[in-house]
Amino acid sequence: MRLVGVELRRLWMRRVTWGGLLLALVVAGLAVVTQIGAAQPPSAQEIAQAERYYAEQAEWWQENGEQETASCREAQAAEPGADYGCDRLEPQLEQFLPSSSTFVWHETSGSSATGGLTGTETAAAALSAEVAAVQESLWSGWSSLSSAARSAAPAFLMLAFVVGVSFVTAEQRTGALGLWLTFEPRRSRVYGSKAAAAALGTAPLVLGGWLATVGGLYALHAAVGTVGTVSGDDWAQIAAFSGRLLLAGALCAAAGVALGVLLRHAASAIGGAALLLWASAGFAFTLGTAQRWLPVLNLDAWLRDGAIYQYPARAADPSGEASVPWLTGVVGGAHGGLYWLAVVAVLTLVAGAVFCRRDLD
Amino acid sequence: MIDGELAVETRGLRKSFRTLRGRRVGVENLDLRVPVGGVHGFLGPNGSGKTTTIRMLLGLARPDRGTATIFGHEVPRHLPDVVGRVGAIVESPRFFPAFTGRSNLRLLADAIGTPRDRVDAVLEEVGLSGRAGDPYRTYSLGMKQRLAIGATLLKDPDLLIFDEPTNGLDPAGIHEIRRTMRDLADRGRTVLVSSHILAEVQQVADSVSIVARGRLIAEGRVADLVAGQAGQAVRVGLASDEVAVAASVLGARGLSVERDGAALVVEGAGAAAVNRMLGEQGVWARELAPRQVDLESVFLGLTQTETAGESV
Ligand SMILES: Nc1ncnc2c1ncn2[C@@H]1O[C@H](COP(=O)(O)OP(=O)(O)O)[C@@H](O)[C@H]1O
Ligand SMILES: [Mg+2]
Repeated sequence: MRLVGVELRRLWMRRVTWGGLLLALVVAGLAVVTQIGAAQPPSAQEIAQAERYYAEQAEWWQENGEQETASCREAQAAEPGADYGCDRLEPQLEQFLPSSSTFVWHETSGSSATGGLTGTETAAAALSAEVAAVQESLWSGWSSLSSAARSAAPAFLMLAFVVGVSFVTAEQRTGALGLWLTFEPRRSRVYGSKAAAAALGTAPLVLGGWLATVGGLYALHAAVGTVGTVSGDDWAQIAAFSGRLLLAGALCAAAGVALGVLLRHAASAIGGAALLLWASAGFAFTLGTAQRWLPVLNLDAWLRDGAIYQYPARAADPSGEASVPWLTGVVGGAHGGLYWLAVVAVLTLVAGAVFCRRDLD
Repeated sequence: MIDGELAVETRGLRKSFRTLRGRRVGVENLDLRVPVGGVHGFLGPNGSGKTTTIRMLLGLARPDRGTATIFGHEVPRHLPDVVGRVGAIVESPRFFPAFTGRSNLRLLADAIGTPRDRVDAVLEEVGLSGRAGDPYRTYSLGMKQRLAIGATLLKDPDLLIFDEPTNGLDPAGIHEIRRTMRDLADRGRTVLVSSHILAEVQQVADSVSIVARGRLIAEGRVADLVAGQAGQAVRVGLASDEVAVAASVLGARGLSVERDGAALVVEGAGAAAVNRMLGEQGVWARELAPRQVDLESVFLGLTQTETAGESV
C-alpha cells in the first residue's frame, strides 16, 4: 500500500502525466469547438426558406397525396413483408429545416434515424431487438454528446495508455528501476504497485477530460439555445458512461504498464498499439463475426453499452452477380467489459511474471 | 586467508549471458568472501565479472548456479530480510533525471518508510544541501556519485557495496570517495568496493579479492598479499669483481639469480638468508634490499598470468 502511494506521487511528479492532463483538456476543447457549427439553431432566413419550400410541397401533396399513397401501397403489396413507409410520405416542416445537433439525442419513434441500416436489403429483416437497442441508445444517434463519446472519449483512453507505458519505460531506460529494486526487492509487489498507481493515477486525466467535454458541450448548447430536452434518465446514462470510461481508463493504463514492461521501449509499446488500432479499423470486416473479438470494438461496446459491427454475408450464390448483402452483429456491453478485463488480466500476469524473472542492470 | 564472520559469501557462483555469438560467461565458479568490518577491495580488470557478481548479490540478476549469502541470509531468496542492511551503487548512479536530488531521495525514503527528515540529514552529510532542489540531470558526475552515496545512507546500512565508485571522478572526487569509505569502515560498517584500478583501493582496503575472467585468483589481507611476494626477491649490491662469484654461490644453492649491472636480483630466499650464504663463502654484500613489491605488481602479475594461461 505504501508503495502504491509512493508510485502515485511519482506518477504526478512526471511531466508526461501533466502533459497528458493538458492534452486531455485540449481534446475536450476541440470536441466542443468542432460542435459549434452543428449546434447553431437555424437562422431566421433559413427558417423562412424552409417554410417556403414546405408550403410548395404541402400544396402539391394536397393535390397528389392520395394518389402517391395508393401507388406506394400497390408496390408494397407486390413484395411481401416489405415496409415502404407509405403512411409517412406526407411532407413535414422538420424535413425542410436545416438540422442542428442537440446535446443528447432521442430516438423519435418512426423517424428515419435507423434508415441507413434498414435500407439495406437483408439487414432490415435481421434487425434484432439487440441491434435496435444499441441504435436507439443515447450514444448512437446524432448529437454533440454521442459524437464526443466516439471521438474524445477514446482519445482520453489513449492518453491513459501512453502515460502508463511511459511510467515504466522511462525508469527502465534510465536504470532508476535497478536502484529502486535495491530498496524493495520484492518484484511482484513492485510491479503491482506500478500497475495500481497507473490505473488509479490516470483517473483524473480521463475523468477530467471527459467532464470538461460534457460540461463544455452543455454550455455550448445552452449558449445557442439548442440544449433540447435532457431528462433525469439522460443524466443517469451520462453518469453511467463516465463510470464505464473511468474503468476503461484504469484498464488502458494497466495495459500500458504491462506492454511497457514487456516491450521495454515506449516506442514499441505505443507503436504496437497503434498498429493494432489501424489494422482493426481497416480490415475488421474481413474477419466476419470474429470481429467480436477485436479490442477496439469491445472497448466501444463497453463504453456505449453495446456496439454493432457489419460484415458481408457469405454469398449463397457464387456467381458474384448479386451484390453481397451486409449483416449486422452486436457486441454487448458486458461482453466488452469482460473481454477487456480478461485481456488486461492476462497481460498483467504475463508482464508481472516476466518482470519478476528478468535480469536488470 | 579470509575467515571469521563473513558479510558476503558466494559459493560456486556462475552467470553466463546469451549473446549472438553463443554464451558468454561473466562469472565462473566464484567463491567470494568478504569479512565483516573494514574495506574489502574487489579487484579485477574490466570485464572480469565484478558488476555481474554485485548484480547477483542484489537480486538484479539470477545466477545460473551457486549460492550467495549476505550476513548469513541466502540471496536472492531471502534478500527482503537483509536488503535494509545493504546500500549499493551498481556501475553509475541511476536516478530519475528530471526529478530533483531531494525528490529522488524522498521517493526512496518513502518506499522503505524512512522519515523525511533523514533525507535532509543525508543531503547535508554528502554536501548536497545547496543543490538538492536542482534536477538530477544538472548534476556533475561527482554530485551524482555523492547523491548515490546519500541514497545508500538512507537505510543506515551495515554493508555498503560500491561498484567502481571513482570512475570518471577528478582527483579531489576520488580522494573524497576514499575518505567516505574509510569513515564508514571506521564506524563499523563493511564496505565492498570494486575497482579495476588497484592503486585506488590499495590505500583504503583492509582485504581484497582479485578476480580475472570471472574467477577468483587471489584473496586475503592486503599486507599478507604484498608480503607474500616481497619476501621472494632481494636485490644484492656487490663490488663489481665479486658479482660472478656471488652468482655462482647463490646459483649453487638453487636460487634464481639475475644480473643487473653491479647487482644481482635473487629470487627464492629472504635478505637474511642470502646474506648468510654469501658471508659463508667470504663474499660481502655492499647492499641488500628486499625488492619493493606493491599490490599493483601482485595484481598485474596475477591477472596477466591468468589471461596468458587462458589464451593458450
Ligand atoms: N547483460 C549482459 N549481456 C551479455 N554479456 C554481459 C552482460 N553483462 C555482462 N556481460 C559480460 O560479462 C562479463 C563481465 O562483465 P562485468 O561484470 O560487467 O565486468 P566488470 O564489472 O568486472 O567490468 C563481460 O565479458 C561482459 O561483456
Ligand atoms: Mg563493472
